Parts: sequence; C-alpha cells; structure tokens
Amino acid sequence: MMESKEKEYITSVGEGIYSINTGDWRINEPVLDQEKCKKCGLCFLYCPVFCIEKKDDYYEINYDYCKGCGICARECKSGAIKMVEKGSSSYAKN
Amino acid sequence: MRETIETLSNNKELISPGISACVGCNVELTLRTVMRVLGPNTIIAIPPGCMGGVGVVGWNKKSGANVPVFFPLLDNTASMLAGIKAYYKKIGRDINVVAFAGDGASVDCGFQSLSGAAERNDNIIYICYDNEGYMNTGYQRSASTTRGAWTSTTPVSKEKVGGKKQHKKDFPMIMAMHDIPYMATASPAYIPDLVNKVKKAMEVKEGLAYIHVLNPCLTGWGIKPNESIEVSRLSVQTRFFPLYEVVNGDFKLTVDIKKPKPVEQYINKIKKFSHLSKDDIEEIQNYVDKKWNKLKMSCVEGGRNDEQ
Ligand code: SF4
Ligand code: SF4
Repeated sequence: MMESKEKEYITSVGEGIYSINTGDWRINEPVLDQEKCKKCGLCFLYCPVFCIEKKDDYYEINYDYCKGCGICARECKSGAIKMVEKGSSSYAKN
Repeated sequence: MRETIETLSNNKELISPGISACVGCNVELTLRTVMRVLGPNTIIAIPPGCMGGVGVVGWNKKSGANVPVFFPLLDNTASMLAGIKAYYKKIGRDINVVAFAGDGASVDCGFQSLSGAAERNDNIIYICYDNEGYMNTGYQRSASTTRGAWTSTTPVSKEKVGGKKQHKKDFPMIMAMHDIPYMATASPAYIPDLVNKVKKAMEVKEGLAYIHVLNPCLTGWGIKPNESIEVSRLSVQTRFFPLYEVVNGDFKLTVDIKKPKPVEQYINKIKKFSHLSKDDIEEIQNYVDKKWNKLKMSCVEGGRNDEQ
C-alpha cells in the first residue's frame, strides 16, 4: 500500500513505490529566513533530496524527507538558512 | 543558472522521495538531477553499488523509481542496455537508455562490456558515479581510487605507512579514446554544467554518450555531510578533476580553472588522506599538474572561467 504522502511525489510502478521515511533521520533541521533570502536558488540546486521547492517567486523547505545534512545552510551565500535542533523551530513540522 | 533552475523545477521527480543514501550524499543529488533532465521517456539500469543498495532498484514488488529500472550484474550493464536499445530501435521508439553505475561497475568489472558497447557505437547513455571504490561493501579500493588513499584493502599502519600505491585510472580519457561521439566529466558542485552535459548526451542518436562524475563519498572518505558540495567543488578548483567534454573528438574545457588552488586544500578536507606526508601530497600535485597540462594541450578552446 502506498502512503498518500508518497503519492504527491511520484506515482507507482509495480505494486507501489519503495520509500523510507528519511525525515526521521534528522537531528538538526534547516530554517529558511525569507527576509534574508535573495531567491538565488542555490539551496534548491544542491539539496540532495530535492526537498527545497521552488514556488513562483520564493523557495520553501519541504520537511517530509529532509535528512538534515546542512548542505543548504552551507551553500547559501546570504546566510538565510540556519540549522537548528529538530523540533525547536515553529517552521518545521514532523 | 536560471535556465537550470527552470528545467529542474519544471520537471517531475522520478526517484522515490525516501532512499537510504547517506545524509548529504552527492550521488543522490547527481541521480535526482540527472533523472529530472532525462525525463520519463527513460529506461535506467543501476548495477550493484550504492545506488542499487539504497533502494532505487526497489525492494520486493515495489520500485524505487517511476521509470523502468533494471538491476543488472556488476559486469554486464552496457551490453544489457545495448540489447534493450536495439529492441526499441526495431519497434521504432526513441527512448533514453541509460546506465547509472559506480566506478567499480564501470572502471573495473564492467569495463569490457562498456568498452565493447562504445566500440560498436551502441546508442546508450552511460553515467558513471565515481566515488573511488566499492563503498557500499566496506570501502574496498578500485582502479579509480586516488593514490595514497586509505581503503579497507589498502590499510594504513599506526606509523602512517600504507594506502593505495597506484594512481587513479584516467577513465574519462580512456572513454574519449574510444572515439565515441560524446564524452564529458561532471561534478555535483557544478549543476548547470552537469545539466547541460546530460542534455547533450540525450541529443546523441548514433553511438555512445559517456559522462564521468566525481562524487566524493562522505562516509567512505571521511567528509562532513554539510561539506559534500564544498569538497566536490575543491576537486575541480584544484584541477584534480577537470571539467571538460569531448564532442566528436574535439576537446573543450567547460570550466576553466585559471588560478588553481593547491591540491592540498582538497586533500586536507578528506580523512582517507590524513596520513599523507608532504612528499605524498607533492607527488599527487605533480601528477595533477602533468595531467592538466596534457589535457590543456588537447583542448581546442578554453571554457568559461570558474564563477563559483
Ligand atoms: S538539510 Fe539537507 S536534506 Fe534538508 S533541505 Fe537542507 S540540503 Fe536538503
Ligand atoms: S541559497 Fe539562500 S539566498 Fe539563495 S534561494 Fe536559498 S535561501 Fe535564498
């Protein structure tokens, strides 16, 4: 059985999509400050999980599968992304 | 860069959202990027290796990708795909037939089938993610491992003696020397360059297109997850791994490094090199310089200067 959460991402081949909840792995999580963000898209390009989503005129972190690697925070040249302890921010659900 | 962001954000994700690649893995980044560019009209084969192991080839009756994905043997990926391509050609369908294989499955075990497919002009796209060893079975050395590196089969003693004794096989050059229509090197730190190269590989309709990506392995080499891209970038900025392409025999640097950083800066970020002496590092530096000069002589024109 495919979780409805997975369906948003891709549709199934065979009996569904094999996927594990990598959002569970996070120790720290990224928080994006829209005020500081220059909308350059670097974080979007380098997130290995592709969990930074491009909206019409801004970027947003989707925490569902974010592994908390910190690459986005490291690559952002504007200091708009900070890594904080999981659950300590009001942005990040899960 | 804007165009790359457009391409990647407009195209659908084709890989399972949750795969068990290590935290910060730049091979995961490479695979997802490449697949977004290739699109759904694609069949991929992923031989044993990290990306097979993390679940992209599926588990039980479930699949890890939204396109047909094959799990060939370590040594027959290219020949298997050549057969698939021949069939599709026969029924008149133009699809991307693509290998996404590690260095073990390309540079070592899979070399004869890959070399054969290249020589026969089989029309497949072969992408090698080179993390310099058999990483998901415990970091054994491969022909692609850099000289001096610690691996579990080239151990280092307490006195700091050991590591691999041979230089890295120059595999991109070996593939270029097959006179295939398209050969390129790429890096996860230069995504627009990678995306361009995948697009060019897709345009090849006769013969084999080969892309060699250097992917520093966080767990196996000893790199901090958040430095995954930084270390990849240093491999290019130090000229350790030049970004170039060979189109119908014409060499061109796609990212020119006019002012290279010392190779030491790259080496210092990686634990598998932590035992190296000044002399060892100099040996690698000399090798890198020699290789770069040779490559530069083959190039018809320089690439754009490194902007990143
Ligand atoms: S922490 Fe890593 S996985 Fe999470 S959004 Fe940033 S780059 Fe992506
Ligand atoms: S890298 Fe930083 S400035 Fe650029 S889009 Fe992401 S958060 Fe905004």
